[in-house]
Amino acid sequence: MVPDHFLSMLVFSVLVALFFAVLNHRDRRGFLKSVAKTLGWMVLGSLAFAYLMYWAA
Amino acid sequence: MADAPLPRPKAYGYALLTLLAPGLGHWSLGRRGRAGAFFAIVGATFAAGLLFDGALFSPASDNWLFRLGAVAQMGLGLPYALGRLLGLGPLESARVTGVMFGYGNTFLVAAGLMNMLLAMDVYDIAVGRKP
Repeated sequence: MVPDHFLSMLVFSVLVALFFAVLNHRDRRGFLKSVAKTLGWMVLGSLAFAYLMYWAA
Repeated sequence: MADAPLPRPKAYGYALLTLLAPGLGHWSLGRRGRAGAFFAIVGATFAAGLLFDGALFSPASDNWLFRLGAVAQMGLGLPYALGRLLGLGPLESARVTGVMFGYGNTFLVAAGLMNMLLAMDVYDIAVGRKP
């Protein structure tokens, strides 16, 4: 397996976003909105946190 | 099938089915589509964890953090037990010092926690707490 930090984070975010969307939403619109929101927050939050660690080091 | 609330012991039984295979409890309650989706998502998370060099921890490990990880991974039920029996994700030095070890463990622990949530979801559906 290629050690790719970004890919790992992306795959994890997609799986978690899909899991909670299926768990909490039955309608298509709510499902898509939940996936987009969770995925966006997880990816952007991780990148922001990574930049913070890079900046603080 | 789950439209009429079930008695609590029966609901616990359906919830425990989730520990045999992710989504089996939902399948038994007639939620076939969701069951398939949960099986695929939790299964993919478990497989990715093993692929990313994660370890299936032993509950008898010397390290308290590994024991805690084992508790979360045991939420997977049968896949965890089978994985341990087949020797998947062994805790060996080459794996532990690898770049992907932490990521793999995150996937495996998350898969176990997801399955615990599924068991609670099945219980809620069975007792009529969730539509």
